[in-house]
Amino acid sequence: MASPTPPSTLTTSGSPSQAPAEKPSSPPVNILPSPLAQVYSYAHPPVLLGLCAWRFEGLVADPVRELLADLPWLAALQIAYVMLCLPPAGTVSAEAGSATDEEKKKTPRSPAGPSLRPGKPGYRRKHSSGKSSWASAWAKLMPAFLSLSLTSLLATPFIAVLLVLFGAPLTTHNAETLLCAAHMALLSATGLVYVHGVDASVWKEVWGISRPADAVWGSALGTGLGAWFGAIPIPLDWDRPWQAFPITILTGAYIGYAVGSLISRTPLLYGKRIQFAPEPAEEGEKKTN
Amino acid sequence: MAPKASTGSGPRSPLTASTKEKQSALQEAKSRELEQEFKTKHLGVLGVLLWVLLLHVAGIYFFTKGFLLTRMVLENKSSCDILPFDEAPGTSVSPSRGSKKGCWHDKTFDKAVVIIIDALRYDFTVPFASMDQDKSVHLFHDNIPVLYETAVNNPSNAFLLPFIADPPTTTLQRLKGLTTGTLPTFIDAGSNFAGTAIDEDNLVAQLHSAGKTLVQLGDDTWQSLFPGYFDANLTHPYDSFNVWDLHTVDNGVNEHLFPLLQLENKSKWDVIFGHYLGVDHAGHRYGPNHAAMAAKLQEMDRVIRKIIASLDDDTLLVVMGDHGMDTKGDHGGESDDEVEAALWMYSKRGVFGRTSQDTLLPPKHARERFVPQIDLVPTLSLLLGMPIPFNNLGSPIEEAFAGASGNDWSNLLAVNRLSAAQIKRYQHAYATARGAGDDEESFALWTAAEEEWKSASKGFTSKSAAVRSSYELYRNYQRHTLEICRALWARFDVPSMLAGVVLLFFGISLLVLYARGMKIDRTELTPSLLSFVGAGTGLGAVTGAALVLFGFTEMSAIDSSALLAAFGSMVGGLFALVKKPANLTLPLPNGMWGWLAVFFTVSQSVGYASNSYTIWEDEILLFFLTTFGVCAGISSMRQKSTTDRVLGVYHSILFVILGRVASFSRLCREEQMPFCRSTYYASSTSSISAPWQLAIPFLVALFLPGVVRSFYAGSKSYEGAATLWIGFAFRLGLLITSLFWTFEGADDGEWLPLRKETLKSVRVFLAQLVLALAFGAGTGAFLYSKPCITVSVNKPTEDPNAPPAPIIAGQQQQPRTTVTILGFGNIYGTRFFFLVVNFALAVILMQKPMGQGAIALLIWQILSLLEILDTNALTLTNSPIGPIVLGLLGSFYFFKTGHQAVLSSIQWETAFIPLSTIKYPWSPLLVILNTFGAQILAAIAVPLTVLWKRPLQTHDRVSQPSNAKVANPATKLLSDVVQAASTHMLYLATINLATTMWAGHLRRHLMLYRIFSPRFMMGATVLGVVDVVLILFAVGGVRWSTISVGEIFGW
Repeated sequence: MASPTPPSTLTTSGSPSQAPAEKPSSPPVNILPSPLAQVYSYAHPPVLLGLCAWRFEGLVADPVRELLADLPWLAALQIAYVMLCLPPAGTVSAEAGSATDEEKKKTPRSPAGPSLRPGKPGYRRKHSSGKSSWASAWAKLMPAFLSLSLTSLLATPFIAVLLVLFGAPLTTHNAETLLCAAHMALLSATGLVYVHGVDASVWKEVWGISRPADAVWGSALGTGLGAWFGAIPIPLDWDRPWQAFPITILTGAYIGYAVGSLISRTPLLYGKRIQFAPEPAEEGEKKTN
Repeated sequence: MAPKASTGSGPRSPLTASTKEKQSALQEAKSRELEQEFKTKHLGVLGVLLWVLLLHVAGIYFFTKGFLLTRMVLENKSSCDILPFDEAPGTSVSPSRGSKKGCWHDKTFDKAVVIIIDALRYDFTVPFASMDQDKSVHLFHDNIPVLYETAVNNPSNAFLLPFIADPPTTTLQRLKGLTTGTLPTFIDAGSNFAGTAIDEDNLVAQLHSAGKTLVQLGDDTWQSLFPGYFDANLTHPYDSFNVWDLHTVDNGVNEHLFPLLQLENKSKWDVIFGHYLGVDHAGHRYGPNHAAMAAKLQEMDRVIRKIIASLDDDTLLVVMGDHGMDTKGDHGGESDDEVEAALWMYSKRGVFGRTSQDTLLPPKHARERFVPQIDLVPTLSLLLGMPIPFNNLGSPIEEAFAGASGNDWSNLLAVNRLSAAQIKRYQHAYATARGAGDDEESFALWTAAEEEWKSASKGFTSKSAAVRSSYELYRNYQRHTLEICRALWARFDVPSMLAGVVLLFFGISLLVLYARGMKIDRTELTPSLLSFVGAGTGLGAVTGAALVLFGFTEMSAIDSSALLAAFGSMVGGLFALVKKPANLTLPLPNGMWGWLAVFFTVSQSVGYASNSYTIWEDEILLFFLTTFGVCAGISSMRQKSTTDRVLGVYHSILFVILGRVASFSRLCREEQMPFCRSTYYASSTSSISAPWQLAIPFLVALFLPGVVRSFYAGSKSYEGAATLWIGFAFRLGLLITSLFWTFEGADDGEWLPLRKETLKSVRVFLAQLVLALAFGAGTGAFLYSKPCITVSVNKPTEDPNAPPAPIIAGQQQQPRTTVTILGFGNIYGTRFFFLVVNFALAVILMQKPMGQGAIALLIWQILSLLEILDTNALTLTNSPIGPIVLGLLGSFYFFKTGHQAVLSSIQWETAFIPLSTIKYPWSPLLVILNTFGAQILAAIAVPLTVLWKRPLQTHDRVSQPSNAKVANPATKLLSDVVQAASTHMLYLATINLATTMWAGHLRRHLMLYRIFSPRFMMGATVLGVVDVVLILFAVGGVRWSTISVGEIFGW
């Protein structure tokens, strides 16, 4: 009667959809242990939210001007945050022994190779590793520079395209879309690029939303989810000026960034990965923007 | 075909010829048995789906019966020569008639100026009177005192009364009521849908046919309601749409009204209808409590005083609001503020009276001594000496006929007897048309009034008392009839609505259980399910009939039987489903995809509670589809196999981009303005395609077959019938379609030097050719063609590179014969997809050029979705996401093919694409094919979510557990298909339940008629259409595609 599904059915189609955890990937990232880094890492998200709240009226009044004016400040804040609080790309593997304060971090993953493929900063840093303070500044400056340029050159257009695909106007409001994308890129990508460089295996995990939760990944994911939920009030007929196109999305992104970056560091979530298929998964965690 | 099938097992062992023969005969018998089993179970499964369909129909029926109020429109017209009484005209003692003195009753005025101040609420017109909770005077109070002043100072010249509108309080519906005297219903059955012109008997038509010269100034709604009735030279309509403009219409009315009132122009007209919109627009724009409103009302005050100044003795002046406004200045609903308008009549001759001292002053509040708006119709008719329009339900207003001293009882009796008789005549005609008898209670009232009237006309003593009581009795009769009609037409039948909602809800619960909560093969369930359902139905029907028989319920026998039969069948079905708890699993989504499917369905359903999300449904669907695409891309990135990952990501990106491209095809609904730009037609005010859009059909013909081919080629399935059917026939059909639309465009644009009739007959021929190709030849191709494979047999050669396709037969030791089958990887899917191609051709023909591009994108997106499902291992796991995303796609492309959830967006003219006249049942079917083409295509593609790239399974191929009896793999396939189909049904049934519940719950919402009701109707219709398509074509078609595969490969 109750014929079980023939085993052949299961095997022919082969691969179960579960990919992660086949090889040890880059571990979750910790905030630098220095007291300043620890304190500021908690202060940074509220600072950004505060900025958002403070400039909200200007944003509603003239989104383009306000977003443009805020862009350098946001970039500066983000760069300051990553340089102050996060380990730069490559240090986890290349500088595990030499750096002074990074060594308390967990020992890096074994395959050290791919992380520094275009990692000239890392190699250069080795040459000048004698002068420690300059070296460490340099070691932070290069990834910061890299992260800024990648964020503006790759992440911004990518997010702008995504916004349009989700329904942002294509023929009008281009400045709004682009600026919104730039803000979202600064929020989400700066940290990721600074910490991971262009490590292919990490980015593969990023595209698969299968990074283990940490402050950097949490804030990036939170930015996307926040923006997704931010789109919800737009169609409502409340006739409020803040319902105009990029405002709610960007507000959602800022809130999502702050919430994501703070809660993903809690022991409850830290290091966990979003499960996709057979294992039970939470509902809220599947959408991205 | 069996010999071919046996090649699989034939050469496996060296046997004697006779044993071989025996075995092959055995095989054949086995095959036949399995095929027979498949066919039987297939029918059984269709039976189950039919039961689900009937449940949906029952639920929708009971809700609709209570919700959609309908009224028949009678064509009868009142005539001047025929009095409304039953007896011969001669015996009537009614006052003299004849053109000079008026038709049914002596006329009081020759001419009339009827001024409508849109949204003139009653409390605007009377001095501010503090109610208990109302504390302070508002800006809109005491700004238009002229009405009250005149009514108080000169009661015989003017009276002012609250004037209560019947909802919906929209200007169009109100003008209907104010001229026909009937109550509005959602559907005035019998009136034509497309046009708005009033076909019922009405005051304007009566005046027109009496040869009066009518002038209309202001709001152009009058023009669409009464086309051709107004004097073309004197009439000046203005656009009523621009609510931001407070002055253009009003200034226009003033500009043309006052010259007409001059002495030298008085002979040019008989009745002027002036419609001011400033007050209404001020309300919409600013709300009532605003300085602009005060200024506007003051302006109206001056206008009325100016009109009074230039009025002569024989002209009646009427000023009224057609509805009120709510606290925000909007209207459309049923709240007190919206229905309370004001009515003021004025004459220089002093003919109005009050029958009692109490009624001398105008009421302080709108709820005292109000008159229904329809009372204007008999009042104005009799004052102007016109017959009362046939369908009128209103009564003459007392003040207008009571005489200056307020005691002209015989006049009051006469007019009320006339209008009561007309109402009785109408009621009788309506009852006859409905096939029902007259209402007994109102008949008794009528008879009593007639008796009293007879005694009043005979007796000489106490005459006035008898007259007065007779008048009261006629009055009672009229009001009683009005109440009956209100109950009939304007009251929701909430118990019936609830019954419908409960039916739909339990139907969905059962469907959830059936679609998502069963562990076993669904085909195994069919026999017990169907027998329990049958028993429940029978029992319920009998109980229902018995309840009626013994008088326990007031429902009709059919309704009661149907309701209980539906509930009985559900109880039976539930019992059959939960009989073996071991077969059940908790119908909760597992994994991200399951939750995503639930999330899409539920969040959309919740959204229908808000008018905004209903209005912007197309954008929300795009948002959801993109979300799905992004999730698919993410999931694809997690696939282990590189091929799966690359293909999955590619198709996810493709899916998202195609959806976004399709979203550029838009037809905006009124409520989306000004944030939406229509691109579906040449411009927002036309319904023809732009010339550049005519290129779209050709592009579709050029590329779409190639696109389909590329998806076939991916699994090397572009073989056999596919080359002919997709490469040639489909392309040919599309090419003819583009020719058709070129001719259509040529006709619209007049580029071809051909006569219209020639063009039309060529077009009709082409269209019929395409339909014959799609449904005639296409059905043949679907029923009889072989699977899309090529079998090549290779004699043993030293083939170094083995063919990629599976090797069917062969033996290790002997020199083997390799049989290469191209297209083996996707036998079921490619074979079934023919059905989608057939319907795509027909649906594309039925769309406007822009819609054809959209449908082509839909086909592409469906194929892309199927690849996503395959690369993410979602086809064989029966994931709900495939059927649900198909549901989203269907709804999305409904909007992208130039439709909206409003009645006015139905493209009726497409019924004439392959026909030159209306033919039943084809014309409605064609309109359905146009309107729901996207949903139909999506529904037909539903079985593909489990068939696409499904590996071939036959009973000898399945590695069978030795002890168990050999299961039939074809029934497993069938079970998967049914599961997918019921999941798709579940999506649409949930949407339907949500729109139904919200429409029922929000039945007092002011957007009910514009947003919630049409969306409910759309949801119900889509559910019905898709249910039928799923049963007849999608699941039905699986029979032939599976048999076709079985004939080649065995069972």
